[in-house]
Amino acid sequence: MDIELLVLLAMLGVFLIGNLLLKLPVSISMILGAVAGALVAGEGIPIRHLFEGCFTYVDTILIISTAMLFMTAIQRSGALEALNALIVTKFYKVPALMLILLMFIVMFPGMITGSSTAAVLSAGAIVAPILLKIGIPKERAGAILAVGAIMGMAAPPVNIPAMLIAGGVDMPYIGFEGPLFLITIPCAIFTVLFLGLKYCKNLDIEELKKDLDMEVGKKYGFKLYIPIVLLVVLLVLTRAVPKLMPQLGTPLIFLLCAVVAVFTGRRFNAWEGGLEAMDTTIPVLAKLMGVGMFIQILTLTGARGYIVVSCLGWGLVALYIAICTIMPGFGAVSSYGAASVMGVPFLLVLLDTGDQITIAALLSFICCLGDLMPPTALAGNYAAQIVGLKYKPVLKHCVIPFLVCIALAVIYLLNSKYMGFLTR
Amino acid sequence: MKKIPKRIWTAAALCLLAAAVCVYLGITFSSMWKDQPIYPGPGVTAVEMLSDYNPGLKGTHGDTEVYVLDSGKPGAAVLVLGGTHPNEPSGVVAAVALIENCQPKTGVLYVIPRANHSAFTCTDPQEGAPMFFTIETPGGDRTFRFGSRATNPIDQWPDSDVYVHRTSGQTLSGSETRNLNRAYPGSNSGTFTERITYGITELVKQRDVKITVDLHEASPEYTTVNAIVAHQDAIELASWASMDMQMEGMNISIEASPTNLHGLSHRELGDFTDTLATLMETANPSQGRLRGRTNADLVVKGVDKYYVRARKAGSVTVEFTEAGIPLDERVARHICGIEQLCNAYNELGNQETIELGGLPSYQEILTNGIGRYLSPGK
Repeated sequence: MDIELLVLLAMLGVFLIGNLLLKLPVSISMILGAVAGALVAGEGIPIRHLFEGCFTYVDTILIISTAMLFMTAIQRSGALEALNALIVTKFYKVPALMLILLMFIVMFPGMITGSSTAAVLSAGAIVAPILLKIGIPKERAGAILAVGAIMGMAAPPVNIPAMLIAGGVDMPYIGFEGPLFLITIPCAIFTVLFLGLKYCKNLDIEELKKDLDMEVGKKYGFKLYIPIVLLVVLLVLTRAVPKLMPQLGTPLIFLLCAVVAVFTGRRFNAWEGGLEAMDTTIPVLAKLMGVGMFIQILTLTGARGYIVVSCLGWGLVALYIAICTIMPGFGAVSSYGAASVMGVPFLLVLLDTGDQITIAALLSFICCLGDLMPPTALAGNYAAQIVGLKYKPVLKHCVIPFLVCIALAVIYLLNSKYMGFLTR
Repeated sequence: MKKIPKRIWTAAALCLLAAAVCVYLGITFSSMWKDQPIYPGPGVTAVEMLSDYNPGLKGTHGDTEVYVLDSGKPGAAVLVLGGTHPNEPSGVVAAVALIENCQPKTGVLYVIPRANHSAFTCTDPQEGAPMFFTIETPGGDRTFRFGSRATNPIDQWPDSDVYVHRTSGQTLSGSETRNLNRAYPGSNSGTFTERITYGITELVKQRDVKITVDLHEASPEYTTVNAIVAHQDAIELASWASMDMQMEGMNISIEASPTNLHGLSHRELGDFTDTLATLMETANPSQGRLRGRTNADLVVKGVDKYYVRARKAGSVTVEFTEAGIPLDERVARHICGIEQLCNAYNELGNQETIELGGLPSYQEILTNGIGRYLSPGK
């Protein structure tokens, strides 16, 4: 037996014992798992590596923190309630179209930032109350947000796992739009209709109006929406005209818009709002730090190599199975990590089986689905938080959309040689 | 006296522990800030700084030594870049070996051993990389830093979500923002990394550099390994050199620089200057995704059981046996490649020639190890 397998088993074992038996937080359990792996490998307690690993996601942590501040600010200012009232009164007559439009709204920030977390915490926060008010159960609404955010993360123009995979083989990030749209749009439409349509037939607008705050929008007018408009404008401009627009970065954009929201609607205590936002998000930030340490020790000890080489050694059929299972499963650690660690070698093996850009795009799509995987399940975690649930019931309703997404991706992968026209 | 709650004591104890860890880590990480000595050989006639070509770099961690090996006789100028990516150690070791051994007979050789000086001061998160590795020399061990692929975030941060290449508008993952070999031709008003590449581009222009060789390594599973990547203007040069390298027993291929992949030295220096831009890649298991345990031994000896298995399974195209791909072999390929590129330039009938002397042959390095050709230091 390889020592690396023992290391892997020790890491997973200690993590599970810590989390399930001792009921320790996921983050602490991951740190303990990482330390156990290092000890079994004879590395002692490598403080430098643990520290370095915990800084892996510092950029993501900044995005999550500032997006959370933005979400809290627009909630407290009344902008969310006003926007809900506006969308429901305009579209309640055509529920299927309304649901699809809402799904596209959830996707949009993910398409621009490449982050499912940013999508859930910005557009997800806007759309969630509408979904709940039209009668969709909380767990299904959470699942719609989680899958929608991931579809946005995978959809062009910005798909960071695709960029990572392409960069790993020196492939320019060009021509990915066609295959990515072809996989994300049908999956997004299927998900929202499958999970939500049966609850939205025969909507009674008068009943809905009772639950909606129709006054706040009238009181503050367009001013109320300025933070949301500003967010969209800044995100789009920094991507559309990068040479003219200074690169503010997603965290600063969220922060600026949150500050603006303090002055454009209902008065609220910004300090208290900020504290509440950070209080709710710290457990997920800690998970990301724990995950970073876990990967660092996997790499240091060679357990990462063991996992990847084992997958590659199983032959083509087993490779496809690994692509459908282990690659999104690695998303439990990090979807970006899955793209870099597994996406690149898998692409190299599959290069000759079809159109290379299409294959890279589809692998990146499957990596993105990893944001549904517990224990981190970034998209599921925050979607659940927004609808006021723990993430398990939400993830349960993500299973069928997840399987449909995987199935469609594999069908496309097997036929990628016929899809080259999409990349030109 | 009011009793202090237990949780305050716990918090205070944790804060003290965190402070102690920070002090320990501060000392550990700061050990990478010290430049390892390079001992100029008899061929070195001057040591310039990159800030001589871009004054904006003066006093920053981007400023770096440019070793000048001037034969004193008319001839062509050649530039060798080591340490573009300090996690690809054969580049910096080959560059140091050139500085300590080469004695040009005609023309001028410029060597920048730490092209991205800032990237030598940190390692990449998630890679589990060692900070240092050592090479045995007849006079004792010689230590080198194993750095990062990208500029230290202390010098350039945060990264944008998407990196937009300045001159072409090409978009890449934001993680490439601090990659020196995605920042050419650079800009004197750009990011920290772009200011470094601007300095290198200016050197190439001001010194009328005829050949540029950028030394790299890649994961063994990568498609472009054991290869010379050449700008279209340098394809003929690279082809001649590769034939000579093959005659010396090396398996080497030629790759044309993609015209639609921007920011790389072989693309932009070829497009924006008159130099014949080339880049050489060797196979480095210590940066691959399939590697087993990551440590200094892997960097130097290049032995890895998982690459052997992957090769047997057909997942790796480069030959990978139980003997591994040691640093000696990778450095030997680079040194021989540079010499053969210069020879090919002369053979192609150019009036100005560049003749490198004093360098060990490929076989000599394989037999004796690269340590034999490094100064033992003081």
